[in-house]
Amino acid sequence: MSGILGGEGEHRLLMGNEAIARGALEAGVGLAIGYPGTPSSEVIQTLSRVADQISMRVEWAVNEKVAVDIATGYAYAGLRALATMKNAGLNVASDTLMSVAYSDVKGGLVIYVADDPGAHAGMEEQDNRWFTRLSLLPMIDVSDPQEGKDAVVMAFELSEEYEVPMLVRSTTRVAHMTSIVELGPVRELRRTPGFERDIRRYTRASPKWCMEQHERLNEKLKLLSGRVDGLPVNRLHIPEDGAERGVVASGISWSYLRELLDRHGLWDRVAALKIGTVNPLPRGLIERLMEGVGELLILEELEPYLELHLRAVASELDLRPIIHGKMDGWLPRVGEYTPELVERALGRLLGLELERSNREVEEARAEALKQAPRRPLPLCPGCPHRGTYTAMRMALRELGYKDGEFIVTGDIGCTILGMHPPFNLCWTEVSMGASIGLGIGLRYAGIDKPIIAAIGDSTLFHAGLPPALNSAWHRSRIVIAVLDNRVTAMTGHQPSPTSGYTATGGEAKVIEADEVLRALGVEHIWVADPYNLEEAKEAFKEALRCDGPSAVVLKRVCALVARRMGLTEQPYRVDPERCTGCQLCLRTLACPAMTLSPEGKAEIDGEACTGCGLCAQICPVGAIGRSEP
Amino acid sequence: MIREHNILIASVGGQGGITLSRIIARAAMKMGYRVIVGETLGMAQRGGPVQSHVRIGSQVYGPLIPEGRCHILIALEPVEALRAARYLSPESTILLNETVLPPITAILGEVPYPTLREVVEALNRIGCGVYHLNAEKLALEAGSKRCLNVVMLGAYMAYMEAERLNIITMEAAEEAVRESVPSRYLEANLRALKLGYEALMKSMSSSAY
Repeated sequence: MSGILGGEGEHRLLMGNEAIARGALEAGVGLAIGYPGTPSSEVIQTLSRVADQISMRVEWAVNEKVAVDIATGYAYAGLRALATMKNAGLNVASDTLMSVAYSDVKGGLVIYVADDPGAHAGMEEQDNRWFTRLSLLPMIDVSDPQEGKDAVVMAFELSEEYEVPMLVRSTTRVAHMTSIVELGPVRELRRTPGFERDIRRYTRASPKWCMEQHERLNEKLKLLSGRVDGLPVNRLHIPEDGAERGVVASGISWSYLRELLDRHGLWDRVAALKIGTVNPLPRGLIERLMEGVGELLILEELEPYLELHLRAVASELDLRPIIHGKMDGWLPRVGEYTPELVERALGRLLGLELERSNREVEEARAEALKQAPRRPLPLCPGCPHRGTYTAMRMALRELGYKDGEFIVTGDIGCTILGMHPPFNLCWTEVSMGASIGLGIGLRYAGIDKPIIAAIGDSTLFHAGLPPALNSAWHRSRIVIAVLDNRVTAMTGHQPSPTSGYTATGGEAKVIEADEVLRALGVEHIWVADPYNLEEAKEAFKEALRCDGPSAVVLKRVCALVARRMGLTEQPYRVDPERCTGCQLCLRTLACPAMTLSPEGKAEIDGEACTGCGLCAQICPVGAIGRSEP
Repeated sequence: MIREHNILIASVGGQGGITLSRIIARAAMKMGYRVIVGETLGMAQRGGPVQSHVRIGSQVYGPLIPEGRCHILIALEPVEALRAARYLSPESTILLNETVLPPITAILGEVPYPTLREVVEALNRIGCGVYHLNAEKLALEAGSKRCLNVVMLGAYMAYMEAERLNIITMEAAEEAVRESVPSRYLEANLRALKLGYEALMKSMSSSAY
């Protein structure tokens, strides 16, 4: 039922990331590869679901760098490759990308990166437009799904024309917005792969070659620079009678601006420049805008990237328009823009009162919001991490450690949900795999408490293996707890090396975390079932007693995956006669399948319960048992 | 010709709020409208608050409903209606499912949880009209709790008909449901659509607000 398989000219309702996936089909991409990360995951996910109907290899790689390495090899062979990742993913991939920028890619190579203003996915608000300054690579910043699809097709054309990797960037709002997209023709490239030895291009080993490559990259950019004014992602609107004031917008801000100019009928009062190529910038359009207006408002989320560059252009041209944006405090550098924020700034620029405000209504709204209690993020019913964290707490308690007398470093993914009550574990969340290195560093600093690094299986394979190796090499005394739920869960259950299947459902080798850790030199390893609290607790106790690096691998498939595969067990139920209403189950486990009856007895929602049985193990009076089938 | 019709769907992760937004968007597209859906879910896909913005009309470009410009709020959980307050104005109408999903903190009595009456009063103070129904009961009657979202779609269809806001026809809504739900739940969902429609029709004819 995927919307991305329609024919040319059809209109489909597509999410931004689905539109990017469609763009890959229309560009004749032969390989789409990435690592899951919100808000980028749906590109590969969408393609993987239709993989049997298209001629494209679709794959999840172990991390973003590996994805870009593979995509680069594919492009070196003259074919087209797309690599996808979230904002921080580009950091991981950057080692390769910085270098590949200097090579001439023969086939098109496009990197799609989705940034996250507003930190919806709980990572830094990294503004990857700056990566273009670091790497010199060209980038298209898209503002809606249609443009996203078209930009991918265009990026591949440009990538091949200029033999340079291209970046396509979106943000959460664009990646996750759904709108009607007009489809173009699907292309299938029938190229013969080939790769010739040319070490002057494909290695950087000689300073001379390296600098020649650097020079060539700059030349390519200069050539491309002459083209971008005419690309449809850049658009300049100047009212017939000219305008004193102008607005520059990119990304989602452009959508907000368009809507406001429509709603308030302001198109004839302001000049508007939409910038889609953040590198190279549409220099000619910027100059034309600046020559006409005396005052400019710049709408861009996060850092004042365009603002700084526009100020530089103004100074070069010896024009002095008043420029409003972040640097004069009109707009914030933190968080995402909203329609209201843009409306206020636009009103301020034009000296108009655009917003309707009603004090009474606003107060009533604030009052209503205040009455809504926060919803702490729970672990799902049946989540194996609930067993892991409960057992971890039990082990620490039985060994005599109170809160504050041990440290648990956390990692990216569902693992971090252990920071919430009632577990209150996971003190840190830094970057993929960092739980282990941080633990080692804390130990080196002289902290003598037990240190547990909690890390998921996908995160371990992504970037946790080098620090685990380091811990084994130097005999660092930490416990690595691998919360092995057999998938990359947080981002939507993409396969990980533990899953046994590929992105497209094909069979894959199962890689076991305990075997890999053992091979890396971690000698003391226990494997436990997190649904078995006694077993998991004992494993933690043993591991905590070790003098060198140790690991506990807690294996149990993610409960949401189990449910989808029909692997859930008979739900549990509470015997209200025996339940004393002590609430120990609820307070220890915070399971969303449990609630209290009006009489104050524990109750289990049989539809939500997956039959993990932790509550039955916690109940001190044996009031919880499996329900009759 | 509609310039701007904004529907906000406020739900708790797992209730089917996102599916409901897709169903309405598909139906609107079938009717020939421009439509945009925006989502605010953060990490909270499972058990956290989810807000889906469905925007229909020739003048919408952004994925978010601007503050105070929501025409219809479909709340699958009462407290989630409160959480969506910033989008409401005296011109907004709220269709509310009565059944609650209190967070663990509220179950354990650590934080107060407003009653249905308190929720309705708070929304009335903003100036909104509120219609509420027990969508969970109707969904169970239709065949599964999972159809709760489509019960609310039925309620929305009834509201539009009563207000002569003929944006989506029943045929388009049914077709969109057909395309959006797994086939084994289709019959139950079609029943849910009808039950939600009838329930709101009945409650609108007997009482207002």
